[in-house]
Amino acid sequence: MVFSFIVIPLLVAAFLPLIGKLSKKLIPDVLTNAALAYLVINAVMLVKPLLARGTILRNINWFGEQVNLTVALDSFSLFMLFTISLVSLCITIFSVDYLEHYGHKAIFYALLLVMIAGMNGLVLIPDLFSIYLFLEVAAVASYALVAFGLGYDELEASFKYLMLSVVASAFALLSITIIFGMTGSLSFQAVAQGLQDLQARYVVGVCVAFFIMGFGLKAALVPFHAWLPDAHPSAPAPISAMLSGLLIKVSGVYALFRIVYSVVGLTPVLTQVLLALGTISMVVAALLALGQKDLKRMLAYSSISQVGYIVVGLALGTPLGLLGGLFHLFNHAVAKGLLFLNSGSVQHITGTRNLEELGGLDKKVPLTAGTNLVGALSIAGVPPLAGFWSKLIIIMALIQAKEFAYALVAILASILTLWYYLLIQRKAFFGPLNEKFKQVKEAPFWMSAACVILALIVILVGVFFTPFVKTWISPAADVLARGIQHVLTWGI
Amino acid sequence: MSNLWFLYLFFSALLIFIGLYCLLTMRNLIRLFIAVEIISKGVSLAIVATGAVKNSVLLAQSLAITYIVVEVSLVATALALIINIYKKNKSLDVRILSKLKG
Amino acid sequence: MVIQIILLCGLVIFSGLAILLRDLIKAALSLAVASLFLGLIFFRLGAPYAGVFEISVVAGLITVLFALTIALTKKEDEVQENRLVKVIFPLFFILFLVIDGLVMKSLLTKVPALPSAPEGGSFGLVLWKQRTFDLVAQVGVIFAGVLAVLALFRKTGKDEEKDE
Repeated sequence: MVFSFIVIPLLVAAFLPLIGKLSKKLIPDVLTNAALAYLVINAVMLVKPLLARGTILRNINWFGEQVNLTVALDSFSLFMLFTISLVSLCITIFSVDYLEHYGHKAIFYALLLVMIAGMNGLVLIPDLFSIYLFLEVAAVASYALVAFGLGYDELEASFKYLMLSVVASAFALLSITIIFGMTGSLSFQAVAQGLQDLQARYVVGVCVAFFIMGFGLKAALVPFHAWLPDAHPSAPAPISAMLSGLLIKVSGVYALFRIVYSVVGLTPVLTQVLLALGTISMVVAALLALGQKDLKRMLAYSSISQVGYIVVGLALGTPLGLLGGLFHLFNHAVAKGLLFLNSGSVQHITGTRNLEELGGLDKKVPLTAGTNLVGALSIAGVPPLAGFWSKLIIIMALIQAKEFAYALVAILASILTLWYYLLIQRKAFFGPLNEKFKQVKEAPFWMSAACVILALIVILVGVFFTPFVKTWISPAADVLARGIQHVLTWGI
Repeated sequence: MSNLWFLYLFFSALLIFIGLYCLLTMRNLIRLFIAVEIISKGVSLAIVATGAVKNSVLLAQSLAITYIVVEVSLVATALALIINIYKKNKSLDVRILSKLKG
Repeated sequence: MVIQIILLCGLVIFSGLAILLRDLIKAALSLAVASLFLGLIFFRLGAPYAGVFEISVVAGLITVLFALTIALTKKEDEVQENRLVKVIFPLFFILFLVIDGLVMKSLLTKVPALPSAPEGGSFGLVLWKQRTFDLVAQVGVIFAGVLAVLALFRKTGKDEEKDE
């Protein structure tokens, strides 16, 4: 059932605070993980019918009344749903042990599930205003989750994030309003048709600029990235993984490119603007990451840099570029989730995440060190891990599109990436062991288990990347490519 | 009829400008949030006016109501954050004192 | 039409006051007055329900929340705003007014729009039958808000230690 992606998380979230009084730990853990596992299975089950039928449009009756509850599921949405469910399942497995620090698991899981419901809704809805709404559902939950530790840093980071993000969504909504005024409707298809009939070049250009501002801020592209390096490291580790791995991609990258591809259409000018933004984020964030001492802050900057790659791939609009962008989106979600969870493990084990203090942990905690190495090498693009293939595809797509300068920058930025990831690995895990950490032990079972699962996904996707790309990513890329042809360009 | 649309958009742009100016320059957390409220007033004015001018005021009205609900939820979250920050700022001082003692 | 413009001007003036007034309570109240104006504008535009919501929820509930927060956080450290900021504001405001006017005037002829047919049905039908998904999302947003407040005002381990 397609609706279960939105309804089940919401129902469980409503249920949890009530149950939380009865059982503080066991029931919330089991219930949340079961719900997410069901969603993963559900996503896998939907592959076959979807490939057979193209797009699934569902409309249900509400107690016999004809109401408008329409969801549209195409391969792109399904790919996003699969990524969201898979990564968030691993994150909740990790939280089983990690959340012991914070307490109040029921509320934590409920907020997490509301956020997942928001993201799933955003992915499934073919309607502009509803995109804004579900964006806000996920965002409100994420403000609370960033501040979940209730320390001063957390609260300040969360407040800053809230302010910028509210302004961003206001701009997106303003742009939606103008489009609504021009076409008189809000559903993707009708709006696309209307814009096509109108040929309103400049006004649509202004709207797209607002969209780039709004969703670019959500995706933390470089001129709009200021909130991310504060917000993501302050949150509890599972939430950092959630925000960096999923939220910026769903509410930023997905929303922007869904609107660009299915509603307003991609033009050469827009491609150039997005390529420039993506490349700037790639380089600037990588350079900023080099100077960081805090493990999580470095990872946060790396997220900005990697989102740059995804945007570059998707902005190209060629089949190869789309393929690479989506594949990198998945790889980054998994690997960055893994790395943030690992940073949580490191903090749990040693009590610090300052890279200067850490060192030599690989002898004491080989499992954490090993999984961290896998994630780092995957994002840095070392063969045969998954990240290598996606970066290779993006760079090949750039060369194929004759954007040689951008291809060169992408290669250089990936060298920088490798550099700072090796820096993390060397400072935290290799080298002489710090005296303080003589007594440390490996992280608790569920935390290690989640990291190992994610590391295995990274390795397996890297090794068996052809079947994986065939089932999940090429159909999604095809949908986007078809979207480009459907939507006539407004062209400047 | 279309001229009217621009009149309303003109005013909603003014509201958004006031909000943004305050966000960029002021320091008090509560005042920053008042600025956010002003921006959202501008947006809801734009929504309803667009609907009214384009003959779909019923649709716009339901959008505006939904938007107000979102706004309430945001305000609650933000004010909870502000109160917490205020509490922490005080208790932060207390912690410094206790450290000095210990 | 004249009344409408007066209302719009009032809306802008009170919003401006909300950021310029030194006293936060007065600022919150002038925000409420601005909401009142907005509600009246909604009403005159043919959106009575949105107007009622705006007046009761935004001018009422949100103002109460603001007043509560201000009361809870008032005691010490008055945040001093930069005086210059308020002095410069009218200057920027007039500058933006001119730019805004020029942009809107030039857009006047540029923005094409599809001809629209008057919509049928009633407000309730539109809300329940066309925008049903918004109601689901509203439930989500309210959940998120409630849970956020619960999470932010929960007792942490440190508080409990302090209580003991």
